[in-house]
Amino acid sequence: MKIVEVESVGKTYKLSNNDSPSYKNGLKSFFNSESKQVFNALTDVSFSINKGDKLGIIGNNGAGKSTLLKILSRITQPTKGNIYVRGKVASLLEVGTGFHPELSGRENIFLNGAILGMTKNEIKSQFDEIVDFAGPQIAQFLDTPVKRYSSGMYVRLGFAISAHLNPEILIVDEVLAVGDADFQKKSLGKMKEVAAQEKTILFVSHNLTAVQNLCNKTLHLENGKVKHFGETGAILNSYMAENQSRKLNHEFENFNDAPGNEIIRLKKAEIFPQLDPNIDYWTTQNSFTITFDFWSLLKSANLNISLHVFASTGECIFNIGSEIKVFESGIIATKIDIPGNFLNDGNYYISVMVVQDGSKVLYNFENLFEFEIADYRENTSWFGKWPGYVRPNFPINIVQLTKSN
Amino acid sequence: MIKSIKEVIAEKDLLFILAKRDITVRYKQTVLGILWAVIRPVATMFVFIFAFKQIPALSSTNKYPFQLILFSGILVWNYFANSFQAVSNSLLVNSNLISKVYFPRLIIAFSSIAVSLLDLLIGLVVYLILCIYFQYPITFNILYFPLVIIVISFFSIGLGLILGSFSIKYRDILQIIPIVVQYGFFVSPVVFTIDSLLNKSWFIYYLILNPIVGLIEISRYVLLEGYKSINLLQFLITLTSAFLCFIIGITIFNKRENSFVDHL
Repeated sequence: MKIVEVESVGKTYKLSNNDSPSYKNGLKSFFNSESKQVFNALTDVSFSINKGDKLGIIGNNGAGKSTLLKILSRITQPTKGNIYVRGKVASLLEVGTGFHPELSGRENIFLNGAILGMTKNEIKSQFDEIVDFAGPQIAQFLDTPVKRYSSGMYVRLGFAISAHLNPEILIVDEVLAVGDADFQKKSLGKMKEVAAQEKTILFVSHNLTAVQNLCNKTLHLENGKVKHFGETGAILNSYMAENQSRKLNHEFENFNDAPGNEIIRLKKAEIFPQLDPNIDYWTTQNSFTITFDFWSLLKSANLNISLHVFASTGECIFNIGSEIKVFESGIIATKIDIPGNFLNDGNYYISVMVVQDGSKVLYNFENLFEFEIADYRENTSWFGKWPGYVRPNFPINIVQLTKSN
Repeated sequence: MIKSIKEVIAEKDLLFILAKRDITVRYKQTVLGILWAVIRPVATMFVFIFAFKQIPALSSTNKYPFQLILFSGILVWNYFANSFQAVSNSLLVNSNLISKVYFPRLIIAFSSIAVSLLDLLIGLVVYLILCIYFQYPITFNILYFPLVIIVISFFSIGLGLILGSFSIKYRDILQIIPIVVQYGFFVSPVVFTIDSLLNKSWFIYYLILNPIVGLIEISRYVLLEGYKSINLLQFLITLTSAFLCFIIGITIFNKRENSFVDHL
């Protein structure tokens, strides 16, 4: 049976220059409601999911994800179309909705629980588990007003309450993107636990690793419309392939148009990942090849090239140089192979220098390539950011040394 | 309309916990705490005792302790004015909830009268102490007072819902509400009685347009032994008017409820 059905739903917002109309255009708009600009947050969105489905909702900022969640959780009404939701819904659009800063942690558990739709008895019976899940620090300050909590404690308490909701349909918006790594691990673990039950989950996230591991279906929204809807693997594949940011090749036919200076010009530069047959985007496990061809006008010069790989933060991750050799003027070609399972997921850029006599920089081609490497994990229960700039899979030998009975 | 009231009752846990929140938070970080609920009406009473001593004409009508007339009027008026304002502001005050979670929105409006209700009950205790102090008899009529409070609540919720519903889109309403309360204080028999108005030809319209007139008078009737008040027909008019306001309030609220979140 279809547990959630969305039929050609549209949501339009009226745009006026100021939301609360002044008496001038207020009176005008009062008498003719035609002349307003409208903004379509959602247009003709249709999909349906079955009981037990876990739906991931992905898309860029402004694609309409949050609007869709608000409509599904009845916070706002669609302008067009119909929605059928069959079952008890709990929606978590933020952590700790309705927490009152003056109230203690204990009082806020009851307040927030009631707001999220739990009865007083349900909260009472789960109270100890909630406090336990939130951690020892919360237990210690249970009777302190939450305005004295650190933001981490605030989030932990909020999530602990939501984790103990028991709805048939759970609507979650990005709440996992908060808290320290330890707590994220705990909360994603809880999500996975919930996902293993016969619950229906609708989950908006930018964390594609989490979507990939938690959701069997995915809805990709773009500009308020359904771009793709279907099995998670296929949708993520096309989404990543379209959205991976790349500046991967340059080629110049003649010397005069090419970037460089009077003696060194770029002929051709290309970075080429060896993708998996089943995955259309560049992941941490793929090896890649960089080719770099340039014109040199120098005769019998001792040249080499030096390649810098930077993280998006600007930090240089590594630098490698070629051997120094004597080259005549003409086109010089270089090729570098970089293995898979080496760079971690993230955004990178590469600069290439042409160097004379091992020390004199003839030209530095800055930001020659920009590329993104996507996360790849199998059979994992940890979806947080994998730390570090590199992710080598050096074998670790681990054995049991002694056994104690 | 019945349906929306039923929805509120179904979620009574939430209703009570929101009411409890408002009450708990009200006097947090004050030294005198709940005593403020006593001080405020008493202070208002003293202002008028002092004023009327200077203008003897106004205080001449009384067969009853003047202070009790003042205090009962202030008590009922404060309850009406505070609960009405709380209801009309409740949606904006709780906008963080409205934009993040769904539950019947009426709950917010209903729960917001809790603080004023508590203040009223404390004020009532002060009133009884005043009665003992002035050695004025307390009769069993006072047992009807809760019923009167219920009618007042219907009226203040109704009026609050009407203005509150429009205030989400037109924030001008927020500027109007204090003016309504200020004018209301003087056009209602809070610090005077209606003795001299009873025979006026327009008195009936006065009752219809301002149900709080009849409600204050009825309150005095049940609180003050031997107080001469409006007659039964006039009371029924007041009652009808108050309920009508409630029904209109709920109807407007239900109609506009769905668009609230888009204007917050």
